[in-house]
Amino acid sequence: MNTTENTSAATAGTPGPAAGSQAVSAGHSRVPVLTVRGLTKTYGSGDTAVDAVRSVDLDVASGEVLLVMGPSGSGKTTLLLMLGALLRPTAGSIAVTGRDNRDVDIAAAPEKHLPALRSHTFGFIFQDYALLDALTATENIAVAANLAGTTGSAAHHRATELLDRVGLEHRATARPSQMSGGEQQRVAVARALSNDPPVLLADEPTANLDASRGRDLARLLRRLADEDHRSVVIVSHDDRLREIADRVLWLEDGQFRQIASMTIDPVCRMSVERTGAHLEWHEQTIWFCSEGCKREFAENPDSFQP
Amino acid sequence: MTTRSLHPTAAPPNPGRGVRPTGAVPVGRRFLFADRRRATLTVLGVAASLLLVLVLDGIFAGAVDRVTYYIRTSPADVFVSQAGVRTMHMSVSTLPADAPDRVAEVPGVAWAAPIAFASGSVAGPQGRQLTYLVGYDTRTGGGGPRALVAGRLPGAGEAILDEQAADRLGIGLGDRFTVMGMPVRAVGFSTSGSSITNTTVFVDLAEFARIHDDRVSYVLAGLDAGADPNTVADRIRTGVDEVTVQSREQFTESEARIVTDMSADLLRLMSTIGLVIALAVIALGLMTATLNRLRDFAVLKALGAQTPRLARAVAMQVLLTVVLASAVATTAALALARLLPTAEPAVQITITATAVAQTTATALLVGLIAALWPLRRIATLDAATAFRETR
Repeated sequence: MNTTENTSAATAGTPGPAAGSQAVSAGHSRVPVLTVRGLTKTYGSGDTAVDAVRSVDLDVASGEVLLVMGPSGSGKTTLLLMLGALLRPTAGSIAVTGRDNRDVDIAAAPEKHLPALRSHTFGFIFQDYALLDALTATENIAVAANLAGTTGSAAHHRATELLDRVGLEHRATARPSQMSGGEQQRVAVARALSNDPPVLLADEPTANLDASRGRDLARLLRRLADEDHRSVVIVSHDDRLREIADRVLWLEDGQFRQIASMTIDPVCRMSVERTGAHLEWHEQTIWFCSEGCKREFAENPDSFQP
Repeated sequence: MTTRSLHPTAAPPNPGRGVRPTGAVPVGRRFLFADRRRATLTVLGVAASLLLVLVLDGIFAGAVDRVTYYIRTSPADVFVSQAGVRTMHMSVSTLPADAPDRVAEVPGVAWAAPIAFASGSVAGPQGRQLTYLVGYDTRTGGGGPRALVAGRLPGAGEAILDEQAADRLGIGLGDRFTVMGMPVRAVGFSTSGSSITNTTVFVDLAEFARIHDDRVSYVLAGLDAGADPNTVADRIRTGVDEVTVQSREQFTESEARIVTDMSADLLRLMSTIGLVIALAVIALGLMTATLNRLRDFAVLKALGAQTPRLARAVAMQVLLTVVLASAVATTAALALARLLPTAEPAVQITITATAVAQTTATALLVGLIAALWPLRRIATLDAATAFRETR
């Protein structure tokens, strides 16, 4: 675990496309479930055109946990939306292998097929859980099963099993407003599993959780990848998720960058490149995101864990 | 955290005890009742407008009931009037003096009774009211009031008045009052002959001639046992010149129709106002509910829900709102129909199953119209907005 790998050819600190056409390949020697080539999303046109994602290549294997990190506005959510068939790319292809082992190119699929594609192929985990507050925990899960074609008792039992799996069988009739943030996020994970998807897409899943619950959730996601052989793609700022990721990719200005040389700013805990503000401490070089963090560290280095 | 394992393709275990859900999760119902206060207010708002429609319709139906009471409760099977005259209300019918005898001679007719009929006013110590004045042969009783609730049959200079009108006009048994300006004494009270607008006064034919004129307006005919009204009516048409002959049902229908036609525009206007209010309440309630739940709809779309499924959720909210509102409105209308006549006897509210069904069906249509804007909003909703944090 925590096997952060190099992205393709991009040099640390140098903006540029991820190794031309060379894909950011799966860290495991498994069959890719998600294969992305030349993925681009441009908003606007002409002089006002903005590339949110630029020519991204990516392979995600079955059972792999991929963590995509990057600063705000780097294109993480745009990438996730395109992977989840929620946003049409401007260019490129996204091939996903379903449970039936058939490949579908999401980018080329007709608009009317996308809802069914989503309901059968992906499980979504949202930053704010996005549970329907009018429904109980069981119903929140069952409604997603309904959308995937399972109704009645079968959906109810599926929901009950999944609640049991995430340790919330005793909260089956609770509404989201009656649950803690950690419980809501576990229900949201159970909902994401209700359609038995090969790919889980999580957007900042730990952002609203405290450290302990964030760790619990991270372990749960890891387990889902290991036990069910699901691919888990997480976009997050949360450095704690590195622990469970097979690979960590750094997205900046819509492109993946090499992060082998990246390190953590001990003050703000953000991933930073080994350029710019730094100082020597106990015979090692500490890198910072800004002079402010560097100054803060220098004033009281013992209070920070490099 | 529990760490039980579950293979994604494992078969579900045996169902547990308890209620077994069937079909899909009722998202529309859950959305509607998640905020019970708002749902209650919406239902009550729609119910109030439907109540307006139902009560207006009920008052009108009650008025028609009262107007046709004399005909509906008459022992006559066939009514004969001047050619071309099909009603009593808003009509003047004059028949030849020998018309009753000629009708009586027709095979199948057991008896024939003439009545004289005119519209005018009745006045007592406490006011004045429009009235139908009916002159009948008090010796045979044919064409008179169905029953007396007090007093006796009238003689010269005497009249029978409807008890509700008597109460309103301050006329007691033995009191003198005027009919069409002519003084008479109240010697008997009938019932159910008053509506909001008018009442009925019965006098002997001779007294009618003194008050108004000597005429035969209609001939009421009773048939032999087993005789077919339509066959006998045909015979009367053939045997007596220049008359219109109708069965009791036909005459009642004609009378009701003319009252309906006269009031249709007003009724339609009031009903339209009620339904427009219902439309506004449903539209406002749905719009607010939909706007408050846009994120939920976006989440459902992101999870794979297609627009028709979400449209069904909205339609279910409309259906439940209208059905509940209709039930509340019907209950309230029935209660009003029972209570209001105790305070105002001339007002009769008749709530029919047909009126309830028509009002509910129209309200459903109105509700679906009100749902168009929320449906359009949902249809154009971007599923990706589910990823925007809103809490």
